[in-house]
Amino acid sequence: MNVIEINQLTKYYGKHRGIENVSFSVEEGEIFGFIGPNGSGKSTTIRALLSLIHPTSGSATIWGRDCIKYGSELRRDIGYLPSEVFYYEHMKVIEVLNYSASFYDNVDYTRIQTLADVMDLDLNKRIDDLSYGNKKKVGIVQGLLHEPKLIILDEPTGGLDPLMQQKFFDLIRTENKKGATVLFSSHILSEVQKLCGRVAIIKDGTIVKIENIRDMQKHNYKKFTLEYKGLIDVHHFNLEGITNLTLNENTLHFLFKGDINRIVARLQDQALLNLLVEEPSLEEIFMHYYQKED
Amino acid sequence: MNVFKKEMKANVTSLIIWCCAQVFIIYAGMMKYQGFADSNVDMSKLMAGFPKEIMLIFGVGSVDLTKVAGFYSVFFLYFMLLAAIHAVMFGAVAVSREERDHCADFLYTKPIRRFQIIMPKLIAGVINILIFNMVTFGASVFFISLHNNGDGLFSQVSVTMLALFILQLFFLALGAMFGAVLKNTKLATSVSGACILGFFLVSVAVDLYDKLAFLEIITPFKYFEGSTLMIDEQLSFPSAVILLIVSLILFTLTFFAFNKRDLKT
Repeated sequence: MNVIEINQLTKYYGKHRGIENVSFSVEEGEIFGFIGPNGSGKSTTIRALLSLIHPTSGSATIWGRDCIKYGSELRRDIGYLPSEVFYYEHMKVIEVLNYSASFYDNVDYTRIQTLADVMDLDLNKRIDDLSYGNKKKVGIVQGLLHEPKLIILDEPTGGLDPLMQQKFFDLIRTENKKGATVLFSSHILSEVQKLCGRVAIIKDGTIVKIENIRDMQKHNYKKFTLEYKGLIDVHHFNLEGITNLTLNENTLHFLFKGDINRIVARLQDQALLNLLVEEPSLEEIFMHYYQKED
Repeated sequence: MNVFKKEMKANVTSLIIWCCAQVFIIYAGMMKYQGFADSNVDMSKLMAGFPKEIMLIFGVGSVDLTKVAGFYSVFFLYFMLLAAIHAVMFGAVAVSREERDHCADFLYTKPIRRFQIIMPKLIAGVINILIFNMVTFGASVFFISLHNNGDGLFSQVSVTMLALFILQLFFLALGAMFGAVLKNTKLATSVSGACILGFFLVSVAVDLYDKLAFLEIITPFKYFEGSTLMIDEQLSFPSAVILLIVSLILFTLTFFAFNKRDLKT
């Protein structure tokens, strides 16, 4: 069953593009990654899901119900962590969390303390005395305290130190094991790689690809490094399936996706000093999605 | 209930300051009356010496300043201005506060509809303007009685305060509508302020040039006259009805516009 279904969702801010024809779906119980550079439309998509903004066209449903029409009912079971965490500055952490909890039915108030202990958060501090990372922790507790069935995280790890990130990931995994579906937006690939099963890549407001993260990394791409004796004819590698081609003095780097024999054929009669074929990192795979086409 | 409490709390300091300022103005004003009354100068003659235009701008038209009711009625202009600014700012800020403080993502992702947030905010606004009104009422009766042999002119002041409350309601609605329609709090408060200045200038212009009398309809400051309220003890019924209807329209617009609004982070 799909928890989130986004269908041809488009949002324009006046003439300015937000997102265009975004479609993807998130299945129940999965941790779905949503990857793209800053300004690519991740937050716009998420904010439309939460009916903070109204889409220009297209639709989005959660548990089969329209996001805008049934927004208030759907949000009962959604936990959301915004990318920019701001709260009422003059309030104490515990006051903000109690205020947040007051909007939900049957909240277990002891959970606030439990979550705060896990995230090492001082509940009696004032919001304006908190560092960015600590505000993020308030956001995490606030997003999880009502035990939501759908957790939407918009760049959640910014400002958290590695230890806290680890604790946070553990927390998300625990919630996921308990049955929560997670939509995890980020521009940092390693964290998506750690946590997510499937991933949608968004660039300039449109979805470029939706893939299983393991397949993408293991089966499709190879990273080639070729060291030459003399001049390199770059055009020699003008092949389909080659991306991220860079020339560095006598060394040529590229990613290749496809039948490896085609590269081997090209390499014949080439004056090579060295040849390296490696598994690319996800960062490198994503680079060519990120680069703007001119 | 939680949103209402939050909004009341957020405004408690500003309400206290507004009320203190109001009490002080009434106190200082009535002290001046004491000075007037004690000086034994023929006020009517003295006043006749001033150009009519100047007197009109300060709200001193044809009333008899040597009578306490007449003197007090001049204040109505200042009450209107102060109360209007207070109400319009409340409306504009209350509706757009979360976006200004960047916590719209916090409040509007809670499982309630937008009108369930705007409604308690506006009710908090009505309570705030009512408290402001009551404080003005109390202070007025108290200070008038000090200078009027213990007679606080209770019924005259009541009528005046009722008129003031209707105006406050109108300005709360106006501010809220700007808060819901305009891009941000800053713009909403600026436009609201400009509106009040505009209304005031029109009301002065109407007083100065008889030919402009037709403009009376566009400025709420001309809907009630201090002297009619304080001396004749009469509240213009058509004015009250028009203002209430317009307020209702503005509140409705606020709800519709806010529902359609794309909230900023």
